[in-house]
Formats: sequence, structure tokens, C-alpha cells
Amino acid sequence: MSDLTYPDVVQLAVPFFIAAILAELLWIHTQKRGGRYETRDAVTSLIMGAGNVASGIALGFIAWGFFTFLWELTPFDLGTSALVVLLCFVLDDLRYYWVHRFGHRVRWVWASHVNHHSSQHYNLTTALRQTWTYTFTFMMVVRAPLILIGFHPAMVLFCGGLNLIYQFWIHTEAIGKMPRWFEAIMNTPSHHRVHHGRNPRYLDCNYAGVFIIWDKMFGTFVPEQDGEKVDYGLVHNLGTFNPIRVAFHEWVGIWKDVTQSGITWHDRWMYCVAPPGWSHDGSRDTSEAIKAKHLAKHPQDGGTAGFS
Amino acid sequence: MPLSILVTLVVLGIAGIAVLTKWLGMSSPKRFQTEQDVIAAWAREFPETPVSDVTLCQSGNGALVTTALGPGLVWAMGADSTARLLSKANLTATDTGLRIDLPDYSAPHVTLTLTKAETAQWSALIGASA
Repeated sequence: MSDLTYPDVVQLAVPFFIAAILAELLWIHTQKRGGRYETRDAVTSLIMGAGNVASGIALGFIAWGFFTFLWELTPFDLGTSALVVLLCFVLDDLRYYWVHRFGHRVRWVWASHVNHHSSQHYNLTTALRQTWTYTFTFMMVVRAPLILIGFHPAMVLFCGGLNLIYQFWIHTEAIGKMPRWFEAIMNTPSHHRVHHGRNPRYLDCNYAGVFIIWDKMFGTFVPEQDGEKVDYGLVHNLGTFNPIRVAFHEWVGIWKDVTQSGITWHDRWMYCVAPPGWSHDGSRDTSEAIKAKHLAKHPQDGGTAGFS
Repeated sequence: MPLSILVTLVVLGIAGIAVLTKWLGMSSPKRFQTEQDVIAAWAREFPETPVSDVTLCQSGNGALVTTALGPGLVWAMGADSTARLLSKANLTATDTGLRIDLPDYSAPHVTLTLTKAETAQWSALIGASA
């Protein structure tokens, strides 16, 4: 079964992505609600998406080589039945949850993921504002258990592609809330809007890809609040639309921090792996510090969603 | 999907969406109208650093703020805004105003449209502490 292949569903979905963006754009224009578009922001997001596909073509062999090595190592083969594909999809979504959580809590991984959060808009182009540097995070190792227990690498990547496609449609303000049962189980535009929020309440939550149940299981779920509109973007928003700077700014930041003089090797290590906002002299704020400062000003928010 | 078709789709898709958003009037930059606009935009980026004074430029595409940490700049990023403190900023007068270079890879420079009087005033205000 080593020559098992699946279609590259993300590439096949490109025409759908374009059509859906056009539909959302026209909806917003005609209805005068449901989100915002801005030319340079949208173009930057789309170029980031194209770069993500290009980096996948250029660097994909690294992850594929690693997965193939593991596949040759493992004695297990779960086969290719529909049930196995379904199980693989669910477990790969659990894998996605943890990679995504690391992406917000470990600066080395955040350096890759940050660009996805760098738009101050939230529309379908934001979904395509994807990393160019995922390979360098080494997060492919989180997929190792799936392959070692017998899921074929091609199937795992196929499920990962479906996961990415699912997440496309939730990047919109044009959809309010889905039916209650759907909101309870699935990741939705409402849940994911919260994830993109820079409000103290909304920092570091709702890491789910497809199933929001992971956030509920691991204590990171925060529902969208009627009384608190999501403010999109980064804690410190970028001052450039240059895609190269969008893609690499946090890596440059790590380099500058790590190579500064007068700090210990432990500090240098922490600048790589501590949560974003960590600094050796406490001059910056992590998400915990931002939430604590918010609570100092607004003690009435203590114990409410996002502050418990 | 053949690479040639994928590349064509991507290029045409990006160009088409860019043209459409421009045509639909979605490329107008943010204009700061009042001091309150500026203070709110500053507070989004530096909530712990209060503003004591605001100098709003006539074009509305940026504003200088005075804080306890020195001067800061709020400027339009498309339809939105961002802000930075101006320590270590380099200023260059241009035909239409001022170019401010910052030692920040994520915000390398800002080009502001200012009158001649504003250019002189801003240069003095920023230069005094940069």
C-alpha cells in the first residue's frame, strides 16, 4: 500500500475559494453588512495563500520524507476503509488542535502562525493568509503518532487538506450563528471569530480546526459575547502590507532577541520557546499579563468567559 | 491540477479580486477626523500608555501623540490603523511631507502627507526626543 495516493484537495479547492470570496465580497457590497474588505489587506492575504501553496510544493518533500520513514518503520497498517479515513480525520483534527495551541503558546511556532492573525479584517481572504514557514516549526512531528499507529501518510495528508478546506468558510462575518447543535459540536464562524480577536477576553482560545469539542474538553473554549465585538488583528498590529515582512517579521524578532548582548543562554532559549510576549526583563506582556491588566481595570469581568 | 492551470487561476484570482475591491471603493484609506479617533487608535496598541497631547495632520492620514514614553505615531493602515513609539526614528522631509523610518521590521517606514508648516512642526516635535 506504499503507493497509495489521494488527490491534493487544497489545490482542487482553489476555484471554489475564489468563487466564494467573490460571493462574499458582492454580498457585503450589496447588503452593506457582513464584514469588510480592503484592497491591500485582501491582496496581501491572497499572496500569503499563494506563497503557502508554493512553499508546500518546494518544501513538502521534507515532511513527506519524514512520514515515509515512519511508515516504513511501523508494523501497523489500518488499511483504507471509509471508517479508517473517518477515524483518521477525527484524530488528525485532534492533532490540529494541539499544533494550533502550540502555535499560540510557543513563540517558535507562533513565528510561523502569526501571519494568519496579522489582518485587521476577518473575511474569506483572511482564511488564505497562511504561513510560508510551517516546515521550520518541526510541527510535523505531532503527526508521527498517527502514522506509527497505522494511518498511511497519504491518508493523513488528505485528511489535513480536508481540515484546511473546512476552516475556509468559518472566516467570515457574513454568517452569524449556526443552529445550536452545530455550534455545540463544530467549529463555526462565531467560534473562530473569537479566536481571531485581540480583545483580552478572546486571547488564546478556540484552537479547534473542525470540531470545537476539543476546546471544550481541554478548557480553552470561549463563546462569542453579544456585548463584546471582536477586534481583529494582533496585539501590536503590523505597519506594513509587504508579504515578505508579514511572513518573516516574528522570525526576525526572535533573531534580534536571541542575539542581543547581556542575556543568559536560558533567556535566549526562552525567547524561542516561551509564550509570545515573554521577555527577560518583563518589559513585554504575554496574554496572561494582558488579561491580568484588563482584570485590574475591570474586576467585574473576573470569572466570566475568557477570564476564568 | 497541472501547475500551469493552478498558477493561472491564482494570478487571475488575485488580480480580479484586487480590481473588484478597488472598483467597489474598498481601497479608501482611513482618515482620522478627531482627537478622539487618534486616542482610540493609540489605545488599541498601547492601552497602558496614556496620551497627553494629539497633533492631527490636515490630511488625516496620521497623528502625532505625546506620551510619558515620548512621542508616538498613529497612522492609517488601509482602512485600519496602527501605532508605534518614535524613539530611534529617522526623519526625511519629502516633497509631500515626511518619511519616518523606524527600527522595526514589522513597521519599517511611514510616509505622511503634511503641509510645509506641519513638516517643520512634526520634525521639531519628533526630532527633539528621537
